[in-house]
Amino acid sequence: MILYIMCFFLFLVGVYGAITKRDLIKIILAIGIMGYSVNLFLILIAYRTGALVPILKEGLHILPSDMVDPLPQALVLTSIVIELGITALMSALAIRIYEKYKTLDITKIRRLKG
Amino acid sequence: MHNKYPNEGMSLIVKTITRFTVWLIFLFGLYIFIHGHLSPGGGFAGGVIMALSYVHLTLAFGKNYVNERMKIATMHNLEALGGILFIVIGLIGLYSLGHFLQNFMGKGTLYHIISAGYIPVFNLIICVKVGMGLYLVFYYLASYQRKEG
Repeated sequence: MILYIMCFFLFLVGVYGAITKRDLIKIILAIGIMGYSVNLFLILIAYRTGALVPILKEGLHILPSDMVDPLPQALVLTSIVIELGITALMSALAIRIYEKYKTLDITKIRRLKG
Repeated sequence: MHNKYPNEGMSLIVKTITRFTVWLIFLFGLYIFIHGHLSPGGGFAGGVIMALSYVHLTLAFGKNYVNERMKIATMHNLEALGGILFIVIGLIGLYSLGHFLQNFMGKGTLYHIISAGYIPVFNLIICVKVGMGLYLVFYYLASYQRKEG
């Protein structure tokens, strides 16, 4: 139970960075930390003490009741791919904003420039 | 092949070491995706490792050196071809057996390379698509030039 609470604390660290920092790059890194904490939480739900890897190999006779749950691992792999796309999109938008306004400080990006 | 752009990229030490390490990274990615249905890994991880070998080459030699060997238009076409082949294989299963993405190949023997039906074919398609897509994301973010004026 203490591990789940620490995962939630890591999520709160990401939220704090996203709402208090003024640099766009730091905001992108904070959103990444939020995603990693959710992935860690999903992996910890699937874990059971004393269980083994869910892989069939030659010479290893593991019953399916002795394996960890493989479904959240597949879902987390999909989630990692989506986070890669989100990070690439946010980086491209930050580059475009820097070209337009010559700054990355979000308190100075207020003027309309057509 | 002859390097037509000797003044781009990093120093001579980095280029010499890169000539030795790039094919090792590429071969490791190939191994990961060929054994994707027997061990951890698969098409996605293999494609990412292959794309990282191309990123390594670009950082050491400059983007014109890589452009001569692998055109950007070719990468776009291969990525689109991967998406089309995925749907085509699904429609073959729909036509022959009645369900979309149903397995129409032989299952082979367990724990061999030739096994698991069409999963190695999908690993190949996903490897090509993910590798090309990740390298194109890197290329367009790195080769960005601000317009003067």
